[in-house]
Amino acid sequence: MALLELREVASAYGNVQALRGVSLRVEAGELVTLLGANGAGKSTTLKTISGLIAPVRGEVLFEGQPIHRLGPEAVARMGISHVPEGRRIFPGLTVRENILLGGSNRKGVTRRQLEAEADEKFQIFPEIRPFEHALGWTLSGGQQQMLAVARGLMARPKLLLLDEPSLGLAPLIVQNLFGAIRDIRARGTTILLVEQNANMALSVADRGYVLETGTLILEGSPRELLDNEEVRAAYLGGHHA
Amino acid sequence: MPPKISRPWLVALAIVAIALPLIPYRFEVSAYVVQMFMQAVTYAIAVLGLVVVLGYTGQINLAQAAFFGLGAYGVALGTVTGGWSFWLSLAAGAAVATGAGLALGLTTIRLGGHYLAMITISFQQILDLVLVNWIEVTRGPDGVAGIPRPSLAGFELADDRAYLVFCAAVLYVVVFAVWWLPHTRLGRAMRSVRENELAAEVVGVHTLRTKVVAFSLSALLGAIGGGLYAGGFAYISPDNFNFARSVEFLTAVLLGGAQSPFGGVIGTLLIVQMPEWLKHLPESLRFIKDVYLAVYGIGVILIMVFLPEGIWGLIKAARARLARPADTTDTSGVAPLDFDVPGAAGGPVLRVKALSKHFGGLKAVDGIDIEVARGSVHALIGPNGSGKTTSLNVVSGIYRPTAGQVMLGEEDVSLLRPHQRAGRGMGRTFQNIRLFSTLSALENVMVGAQRDRNPIGRGNRALRARAMSALAFVGLADRAHVIVRNLPYGHQRLVEIARVLAGHPRLLLLDEPAAGLNQTEKMEFVDLLRRLRGHGLTIFLIDHDMGLVEKVSDRITVLNFGRKIAEGSPQEVLRNPDVIAAYLGTAGKVN
Repeated sequence: MALLELREVASAYGNVQALRGVSLRVEAGELVTLLGANGAGKSTTLKTISGLIAPVRGEVLFEGQPIHRLGPEAVARMGISHVPEGRRIFPGLTVRENILLGGSNRKGVTRRQLEAEADEKFQIFPEIRPFEHALGWTLSGGQQQMLAVARGLMARPKLLLLDEPSLGLAPLIVQNLFGAIRDIRARGTTILLVEQNANMALSVADRGYVLETGTLILEGSPRELLDNEEVRAAYLGGHHA
Repeated sequence: MPPKISRPWLVALAIVAIALPLIPYRFEVSAYVVQMFMQAVTYAIAVLGLVVVLGYTGQINLAQAAFFGLGAYGVALGTVTGGWSFWLSLAAGAAVATGAGLALGLTTIRLGGHYLAMITISFQQILDLVLVNWIEVTRGPDGVAGIPRPSLAGFELADDRAYLVFCAAVLYVVVFAVWWLPHTRLGRAMRSVRENELAAEVVGVHTLRTKVVAFSLSALLGAIGGGLYAGGFAYISPDNFNFARSVEFLTAVLLGGAQSPFGGVIGTLLIVQMPEWLKHLPESLRFIKDVYLAVYGIGVILIMVFLPEGIWGLIKAARARLARPADTTDTSGVAPLDFDVPGAAGGPVLRVKALSKHFGGLKAVDGIDIEVARGSVHALIGPNGSGKTTSLNVVSGIYRPTAGQVMLGEEDVSLLRPHQRAGRGMGRTFQNIRLFSTLSALENVMVGAQRDRNPIGRGNRALRARAMSALAFVGLADRAHVIVRNLPYGHQRLVEIARVLAGHPRLLLLDEPAAGLNQTEKMEFVDLLRRLRGHGLTIFLIDHDMGLVEKVSDRITVLNFGRKIAEGSPQEVLRNPDVIAAYLGTAGKVN
């Protein structure tokens, strides 16, 4: 049984069809990446999984249970954590409070343990440590992005959905981030990753899917996708990095 | 260009509009009903003021009844106490109200949102107190009676029916003007302020002036409505113009639809008439009469919950479904974009001298010097939080510098506001795209074209031509009429660039323009930047994609902790060990 399975999922915004029958599987412990152009439906796929959008058709199964009729909080309680695109941090809370809040879905964890985990997050993103007690809105755009990812990691989810975590981050930080993604996965968290930086994403992934205008057109190992002419032309700038 | 209305609609509308106020001449209608319509028509004129200030400009105004009252008291005191003519009294009331609107609009320089709501409520309450307590002048709670009606070109308007026709004619003129307004320079400026005030200012819209004009227009329409109301009812007292009336006006505009004059009129008719209909229920439903205010209240709440764009929004959506406009735009006859900026001479386009920006104890930018050579692409890179966006915000005028200077060409622009810098040829885009999301791509770009001193012809036609050329340059001319929030992300980035290009920029500031684009889209973007540079444009950009930066830049400046740590050609800078340690790391590999 796959940890996550999508069966012929279709989603729409109003009368604009965003997903047209997407079927995919993520096995427990895997790191799967979802590639595709802007507007292909990558973020919509993640939103449909996390319950922010109800699918028009099809099923989403998590550990064999249908979850596509559940709201986002119920989905989060089942162990799915979604780090959305666009730095949705709490501007009026401190950086540390933002991170701690990421663990608010976990039962029976002591405050001390959460604080210790928050400290680990500052090791992944040392750039935001100096602002630990500053309010969220005072961070620069890239720092807010780091904070959003750090907060998502606090949920200790079974399945982590990451939507463009590297957006607007300096190269050095992107390397730290992908190092961290690899570590998280090594500790047993399953990850579904959406990234524009396809080279980076494929360098850490076990498998990848390619989404085009709401339909999956390709599935394969990173090697297969990197060698695929179409993928290289459409997403990797036509040359092999 | 205003929206096209199909001929059958126009004819139907005209017939209804002309026939309605003439009904009392043909059929027996009680004086009560005529007066009720007189009330609705005069209220509607005031409510149209709210369409301008709230619907178009997005500024909350809870004092419309105060402006309505200023107009009414102008007419009442002018004619009864002063013995002036009706028209002179109306003009005086309108002038006082417009002045008050102007003053209220000026408070938006510091305040917005709920603070502005508080300010307008306070103004409303102050006027209320003055009307009640300044008895020598206003005659206090007793009000003013015996207000005469005017004559117009020899016609006496003393008869209720004639006066109603006159008020309706004024209403129609106002409806037409308010309907026309969104498609003028001023109207586009208003809507850009509503959608994204910061972007509007940076693109070159004098946002404060736009808001002040909106408030003044709103006050003027309120006063005209009030003046006609005073003439219509011959008697007024302060309780006609209190806060509850302002809320009623606000309810009317939200109910009908704040974004259209037709919505405003429909909303007003409902607000005035609904309680009356509920009073005239058949015997079997009489019990409702006892609770009609509650029924009415519930009705208003339901409409607002289920029709956020009001009743007019519902009608508009139905019409859009019947006649779906074409998604693509005819692009024949679009002229190529011309980049010539008159009076451009040699020397650096931008010079930043010892610039600092401190926030409390945080030195976000700490004494940096940068020179951007004419015709070059200059990149600013550095770790997150190193002060790049802050620098760009100081350069474009969003922040005042703590110390230092910003020179655009030979002019010191350090103390100019963003729209003034845009008016001198400085254009920028934002890290997280800031478009006017409910406007079409074309309208977005037209706002960019209407900056001060843009060297193009006058009038809407020239703006439109310029905007189409800019859209064609980024390859989106055929999407000109699509509402921008419906465009895919990559296209929105291009519209934002076209919006700047339409204003003939001497300097283009781009904040992470390639963020969120995939590698192939980034290659296309590199081509676009090279084309721009080929046309002689000077570009100063921030980005984290070193492949892109290396390909397009002539020169790179590196910031860390608000200070410049390196500068030079891409080859020099990207091999600099300090830069590698602070920023690049072992590029391309995961540690």
